[in-house]
Amino acid sequence: MGEYSLLIILFAPFFGAIALMFVPREEALLVRMTAAIAAGISLLASFYIFLAYDTTKGGFQFVQRYVWSEELGIAFYLGVDGIGGPLVFASAILLFAGIFVSWHIKDRTKEFYMFLLILAAATIGVFMSLDLFFLYFFYEMSVLPMYLLLGVWGSHTKGYLAMTDPEERKLRDSIGFIFNFGSNSKEYAAMKLTLFLSAGAVVALMGILLIYHLSGLHTFDIVVLREQAHFSDNVATLIWFLIFFGFASIAPIWPLHSWSPVGHAAAPAATSMLHAGVLMKLGHFSIIRVAFEILPDSTREWMWVAAVLCVFSIIYGGLVSYFANDTKYVIGYSSSSHMGYIFLGMAALSYISLSGAVIYMFAHALATSMLFAMAGWVYDQTHSRDIPSLGGLVEKMPFIAGAFIVGCMASIGMPGTINFIAEIMIIVGSWDKYPFQVVVAVLGIVLTLAYMFKMMRGLFYGKLDPEHAHAADARHWVDRMPLLLLIVCSITLGIFPGHFYEVVRSTVEPMVDRINHVAPLITQNTQGLLP
Amino acid sequence: MTFQLDLCVADLLLLLPEIFLTLWLCLLLSLDFSLKRMTHQQLAYLSIAGLAVTGLILLGFDQAGTTGALFKNMFVLDRMAIFFKLIIVGATALILFMSIDYVQDFRFFRGEYYVMVVMSALGMMFMASSNDLLSVFVTLEFSTFGFYVLVAYLRDDQRSSEAGLKFFILGVFAAGLLAYGISLVYGETGTLIFSEMTGTPGSYGLAIGYILIFAALGFKIGAVPFHAWIPDTYQGAPTPVTAFLSIAPKAAALAILIRMFYVSLASFKPMWVLLFVVASIFSMTYGNIVAIAQKNIKRLLAYSGIAQIGNIMIGLAAGTKQGSDAIMFFLLTYLFANLGAFAVIIAVSRVMKSDEIEDYNGLNRRSPFLAAAMLLFLLSLAGVPPLAGFIGKIYLFIAAMKEELYTLLIVGLINIVISMYYYLIVVKKMYINEPTDSSPILASMPIKVAVYVGIAGTVLLGVYPGPFIDWAVSASLMFSNIAGPATAVSLLPGG
Repeated sequence: MGEYSLLIILFAPFFGAIALMFVPREEALLVRMTAAIAAGISLLASFYIFLAYDTTKGGFQFVQRYVWSEELGIAFYLGVDGIGGPLVFASAILLFAGIFVSWHIKDRTKEFYMFLLILAAATIGVFMSLDLFFLYFFYEMSVLPMYLLLGVWGSHTKGYLAMTDPEERKLRDSIGFIFNFGSNSKEYAAMKLTLFLSAGAVVALMGILLIYHLSGLHTFDIVVLREQAHFSDNVATLIWFLIFFGFASIAPIWPLHSWSPVGHAAAPAATSMLHAGVLMKLGHFSIIRVAFEILPDSTREWMWVAAVLCVFSIIYGGLVSYFANDTKYVIGYSSSSHMGYIFLGMAALSYISLSGAVIYMFAHALATSMLFAMAGWVYDQTHSRDIPSLGGLVEKMPFIAGAFIVGCMASIGMPGTINFIAEIMIIVGSWDKYPFQVVVAVLGIVLTLAYMFKMMRGLFYGKLDPEHAHAADARHWVDRMPLLLLIVCSITLGIFPGHFYEVVRSTVEPMVDRINHVAPLITQNTQGLLP
Repeated sequence: MTFQLDLCVADLLLLLPEIFLTLWLCLLLSLDFSLKRMTHQQLAYLSIAGLAVTGLILLGFDQAGTTGALFKNMFVLDRMAIFFKLIIVGATALILFMSIDYVQDFRFFRGEYYVMVVMSALGMMFMASSNDLLSVFVTLEFSTFGFYVLVAYLRDDQRSSEAGLKFFILGVFAAGLLAYGISLVYGETGTLIFSEMTGTPGSYGLAIGYILIFAALGFKIGAVPFHAWIPDTYQGAPTPVTAFLSIAPKAAALAILIRMFYVSLASFKPMWVLLFVVASIFSMTYGNIVAIAQKNIKRLLAYSGIAQIGNIMIGLAAGTKQGSDAIMFFLLTYLFANLGAFAVIIAVSRVMKSDEIEDYNGLNRRSPFLAAAMLLFLLSLAGVPPLAGFIGKIYLFIAAMKEELYTLLIVGLINIVISMYYYLIVVKKMYINEPTDSSPILASMPIKVAVYVGIAGTVLLGVYPGPFIDWAVSASLMFSNIAGPATAVSLLPGG
């Protein structure tokens, strides 16, 4: 069974979505249980690959390869390394938690779970694809469910109705939509997100097609391409930039980030969790998988671009978070600020910093999805995300308040959570190369501390508005379980990071060696895999 | 040039699908006249049965590897012709399923409708096989003739009559261009058969002749700048006829375009590559941008069709065997997605009595099945994985990438994003907006058949395209050694 684990992880949510088609829509509990079972299977199998990954062997493991089209040189080629494996695990955790977080969705439950399962399966697919075609295939596939999840089950941002008159609403469906920047409707957020990500995706696609054609190998196979593909300097630089900015738009790096907080704010809780938790990591992951693996020389030469831009991400995102009043905006901008750390870790290209970046992807997925889940809970109870109008909720929801504090601590990077280890590794690993950025990153942590405390105080302490007197705590196990799952994962790995670190190190070391020309790629790991 | 018909019965075997369909057509017509009690549904199912048999014969030919040429190479039956004929027959059968409900509302001439549809299909099957300019002209007019009638079938509807008239006037004009072009080419080369024209020296007469022929065929496929008839005709024509127009004539005309440019003009490749690059860029961009502003779903699909033809011409611009493979595969994906979308439109407009995009508000609440189907079809047209359209577009892009047509590729990729917007607007209406009237919309049995076939094709070609790609590849094997740029000569004297 072991070697088929990846197929199980990937197809359990897909088959869950297909099974949901045949479940009658009146049976809401059956719908939820079907989704939960599909996600549960995926979670167990991904936990297995996370534990069973052989850290002494490294390289791609649990490999599955089926020829898909001989004519086009495409194979359905799956496998995880020390970077993909933990991210697959994170996606499965978030999907499972997300299903329980959205347990109370009443409107078109069946469709909601179908789209959520497809979204999660597509992200999982990206993390395990060893074929460029399928990497893009799953990448693009993950964008579309977002549109519907945001548009149908999302919520308008505060002030939307005040600034919209009926005439304008009509205009939005037409060309006027594009120029209607002021709007904060969920439709606007959903469309903006989809178009931004599609635009990024086609830029990356151009890069992928160029790799396919100019390598002359007639294959999309990443394992073959990284060993045999050679490009002239200018071409390699061009492709590198297409790949980098194409995928960085989902990450999102600073000038391309504007879709992301709007999208977070409009999305329902479970979608925000998956979006901030794993969807944004598709960008970093794809850059590592495509640019780092196939174009190591250009990566060494140009990765400073990321180091420059990440400064803006960290500071800008942090400042906006500090001044934002909408809980989801705060968390959304904090996510895009924290993505800057990952870029810093990637840009420094040392063992420790890159390992730190990978661990941070995982850690941030857990921390930020906790916060989104609880912001969603508060919104469901009070129908408000406006921090100044909330307050004193700790009396009404002590469990949520407690969990929220843990989430904030994790987000800040308190020792004991996995985030701490990741942040330390990024900061220590990048110091040699980018001291200025490290100082900025540390300032960013202080800023995180400030806005997280501000939000916490605004939501849970102070005077309770009598309007929110009916707000209830999460009492049922269904509501508590997802939060506890995330907290337990974050703290367990924070205290026992040994295996996790080994998993990441086994892949990062040869990769960094190759990029820095210390040693050629260790081929013994992959020799058996070449077709 | 003297014509000698040295035929034997075995040769006529190659014409078996067409002969069978002709006889079946006569049967349908006489049954319609003679049996007063026969309902139009029965006639429709009889037509579908005839098409099914034709399709089976074609599949048998494909399996047995039956190929050959008749009438001094005027009519060829190769695997490419079989491929296109199967697309045409399949499209026609789906159209008939979609028509059954629609024809119910006609007050008269119900039976003739089916006869007309099958007759046009017959004409297009001949088009897919025509291998010289004379048979191109005859078969093209034969197939268009049926459409002139079909487009104007709703006699009481002003729009339908307007559509018919526009289509007729522009169609006749295109026929004139075609005839003029053919005469010029014949004057320069002294032959009408594609395969005999290879190697003729370039001249202005030849260039103008071919441009005129391209204009006439561009009219058929709706490429910019010959697209002007498309929106009005699509909007006014009965919806099943619109669906028919949107796929079958395009497939047939593309078969001719591929044969003509790949075979008879192989040596002038750099010249016509430029032609197709320009036509493709304009079609994609114009179609997609104008589609954004549409309020009527049929017009939206009309403009999206113009854009899709732009995509298809990426394959022609590549001018390689892989390009033609990609076109053929793309046509398959387009067949299922586009016909499926029209089937949903027919189901919805029977309840709403109009075709505005506003009518789709809250379709997800009124009919989850139709909304989900439409979602799949639109996303396939937009080129979203894991649906068929995505593979089709990637295939075309790969073909263009192999020929290093970077400008075309960039424009094509940008257009993917533009097209995403207007398809998503319809998705937004269906899923996000609330319905004004929440009574359920039920689809009838025949419509459901068409929708299910569309869904099956769209998903299957998306997740498991291997066998279909291989089919397209093997269907155009005769192009495997077409001239590359190295051996090319200029179409113009001294150029």
